[in-house]
Amino acid sequence: MTTLYKTFRRALTTKDGALLGSIFSPENPDRGTFAFSTNHERIRGDAEYEISGLTPLRDENTRGAWVDTLVSYWKIAYILERDDGADVSWAKAYEGQKDLLLAMVRGYTKGNWPHWTLPVMYQICLSLRTVAILSDDQARRLGKTSEHLEDAARYINKAFTLCISDRAPIEESRKWGTYYIVNLMFKTYFKLNSVGLAKNILRVLPASLADMPPLEAFPKSHVVTFKYYCGVVSFLEEDYGSAETHLTYALDNCKTDSIRNKELILTYLIPTTMLTKHKLPTPELLSRFPRLAALFNPVCKTIKSGNLQAFDAALRHGEEEFVKRRIYLTLERTKDIAMRNLFRKVVLYQNEENRTKIPVRQFQIAMGLEADGDTVMRSTPERVEVEVEEVECLLANMIYKGLMKGYISRERQTVVLSGKEPFPGTVV
Amino acid sequence: MSAPPWRSGGTNGNNRNGAFHSVNSRKTLSSRPIHHEGTQVHNDLFFSPSSNLFPLAFCRRTLWKKKILMCTNQTLTQTPAPEQTPKTQFPDKLKDYVARTFEDCPPDEKVAVELELKRIITDAFNEKVVWSLEWDKMPLPQTILARKKVTAKEEQTAKTLAMGQMSRVSNETGASPTSPFIRKPNYSNVMDVDYPGKKRKSAGSSEELTPPTPDRFEERFDKRPRQGDKFLPTSGKLSQREKDKRAKRFEDERREYSPDSATPEVPDNKKPLIGRCMDLEKRYFRLTSAPNPDHVRPLHVLEKTLEMLKRKWRSEANYSYICDQFKSLRQDLTVQHIKNDFVVTVYEIHARIALEKGDLGEYNQCQTQLHSLYREGFKGHEEEFKAYRILYLLHTCNRADMNELLANLTPADKEVKAIKHALEVRSVLAAGNFHRFFRLYLEAPAMGGYLMDSFVARERKAAMCMICKGYRPDIDIRFLTEELGFESDTDCVNFLYDNEAADLIEQKLGDKGVPNSIRFQTAKALPLFERAKKAAFSKVDIKGQL
Repeated sequence: MTTLYKTFRRALTTKDGALLGSIFSPENPDRGTFAFSTNHERIRGDAEYEISGLTPLRDENTRGAWVDTLVSYWKIAYILERDDGADVSWAKAYEGQKDLLLAMVRGYTKGNWPHWTLPVMYQICLSLRTVAILSDDQARRLGKTSEHLEDAARYINKAFTLCISDRAPIEESRKWGTYYIVNLMFKTYFKLNSVGLAKNILRVLPASLADMPPLEAFPKSHVVTFKYYCGVVSFLEEDYGSAETHLTYALDNCKTDSIRNKELILTYLIPTTMLTKHKLPTPELLSRFPRLAALFNPVCKTIKSGNLQAFDAALRHGEEEFVKRRIYLTLERTKDIAMRNLFRKVVLYQNEENRTKIPVRQFQIAMGLEADGDTVMRSTPERVEVEVEEVECLLANMIYKGLMKGYISRERQTVVLSGKEPFPGTVV
Repeated sequence: MSAPPWRSGGTNGNNRNGAFHSVNSRKTLSSRPIHHEGTQVHNDLFFSPSSNLFPLAFCRRTLWKKKILMCTNQTLTQTPAPEQTPKTQFPDKLKDYVARTFEDCPPDEKVAVELELKRIITDAFNEKVVWSLEWDKMPLPQTILARKKVTAKEEQTAKTLAMGQMSRVSNETGASPTSPFIRKPNYSNVMDVDYPGKKRKSAGSSEELTPPTPDRFEERFDKRPRQGDKFLPTSGKLSQREKDKRAKRFEDERREYSPDSATPEVPDNKKPLIGRCMDLEKRYFRLTSAPNPDHVRPLHVLEKTLEMLKRKWRSEANYSYICDQFKSLRQDLTVQHIKNDFVVTVYEIHARIALEKGDLGEYNQCQTQLHSLYREGFKGHEEEFKAYRILYLLHTCNRADMNELLANLTPADKEVKAIKHALEVRSVLAAGNFHRFFRLYLEAPAMGGYLMDSFVARERKAAMCMICKGYRPDIDIRFLTEELGFESDTDCVNFLYDNEAADLIEQKLGDKGVPNSIRFQTAKALPLFERAKKAAFSKVDIKGQL
């Protein structure tokens, strides 16, 4: 009896879902011995014999499904072991993974697998995705096209249906697996660059939420990931309000030491709060995440100083990275705050008594100021003269967006500012 | 309702020559290009030129006859003289294949598999394809066996459902799986069995509704049983009667469109269809069945068609006619699977014409095709259309796709004038800089201005909101004309009228009682324009979004 069967029997009798799930990982250390313990002719018989006599498997259908699953897993193990190293045909392995998933689906539909075996479903879906990616990569290296990941998404969807459509009482329902699978689907769709499909899930999900326990009752890791993806979807839809709520929740509940996850959450939460609350990330926060500091610091600095030329330069400088992370279009909009800060400086520069009536010319001069000293700002060495109309236009913009209080008098070429709080929320 | 006559597409039988007459309606057989060289003897056997004149109904009635004919032909081509090389040699790939066969062989099927394998190899030698066959892609004998079993089983069920037994039987005995490599397309079928997850449309209807791929033989004649064996569990949704009714409906429509329609030519197995219609002009008709080569123009005719259409557009500028002609031109290209630089030209010209007429729906269809054609490496004016695409995405407010597009722009792209302009439009719009926006509108290169027309009206309303909020107490109309990119003060005033803000225009008198300027009261107009803006942004018409 190879170790794998022993583990299987132990997991089943002690109802250890996690252990049971780990058996079906392509990275199971027992994979090798298992693969070479038998051959195509004998695997089924072996599996049947090895798992016989277990009380939880008295039901024939249940046992049959487990045998199928073990046989499917053996085939993958065999493929991976036989052509070890670079020669592995991931496309073949993918087909095997697909069979494994289908065997698993049968296990739940026909074999009455109990809900505590959900980690098996998790593991099988997860490895299907991983193998699909490996297979697509391999095909691309050979100059072929391969769409296994798309295919995998469809199969993972089957698991989603399995979870969501379970009618068993909630204590022993597969509904508990919903968010894990949903997260996996999100992850896959984002990888495929089809945010539209991700939105689709969010549309489908509320329909089945009615008879589901509240989100908080689910494992925290599932919830945090789910909230993160919800946040990112809202972010991309420019619904910054709900993006902020989701992402803040994710950040607050994220495991303290998972730096990478926090970094991901903050990548979207920082631009969001810059827009919604006009708040820049504090140096303390950025100092804990060097990658984020490199990403956001240049832009934040120019926003603070209100240097518009430098802001444009910083945005251009980081454009590639910003676009890749899909935050470019959002960061671009924070220019409003940079401009607000600049105009605010213009006002503060005036004498106390003149602060309510300021010539447009003053703003014009400020906008044309050359960027100072910094390396990223060198790209615009000459002084830019901005047309009066454009300055007025941007002032009107500020006023319209509520960043400034007052109005422009075109005849007198002055900006008449409100006596009280001309720049709401900035102490001036 | 007000659709031009040629848009009503085949609703009445004799409107074919209604809107305009064919320039070249000769359809003599001698002018037909030669197709399917050297293949498929049977084509000519039962599709003799005279059968072209048979009415469609007759064809349907005699379908089963053809079926049988076809099969005899099949067997004819299948019996070559077995001629073995004195010393038999095997390709390495074949050796691998055999090895794989036994490696994956389930014990209880061993005997059957061995027999099947033997048959496959003998057949391959008989057909002399041992060396040319791609053994590594060949399905294993056990797969073929399994498939046979399934088909046999479903045949039973199909029979009980009384679905075209006749053709099914002949199909089984004739061409089908006895020799898996004799007809290449069989592979794809085997693959289908292996890919149950492949996305399929709802069982019953998809076959008839998606005609462009020329189906192979069996499928075209033998649709129902074939559907039966692929989708048997689900195909019960539509009763047989309903299916017949629907099939008949499509048939009727087709007949109406082409009263003198000839027998549909059976397309070659693999080769895409090649048309033999010599007319330069053809009305667009949305296909509901496999295309008929008699109504499809081959590439060399289409090239002439494009020249003619260009000429006509210059001289007549009748958009509904041109659009219709371009659509049929595009359809002919699609059904013949033609993809080359000429196709790019066709789509580009149609896109430009559509832009000029503000037909964004049609433009977007072209753009979608162009997008994938460029990606496949066909040459055209990619930069120009990239710029249009940026502007189009601005029109549809599609930020997700915009991000994607920005990510895919190369530094070289960003130096192109049109793209630079479009990018600048994007960035000033994001910044709410209407001053610069309307400047850019007035200096848009190429057809960009036409595209910007589609969202300029909307942006004017947004700009008016800012102006009304920002300027007090009133503003010179002259200033509005300048800032909002109107051609004249009159246009500007008309715009204010259209937005029910006419009451807020007033004349101001100068020092000596002489009117010196027309002013617009901003404060009161704000709610008006807020409402207008909201309405304008809430309904972005996205036609056939990419």
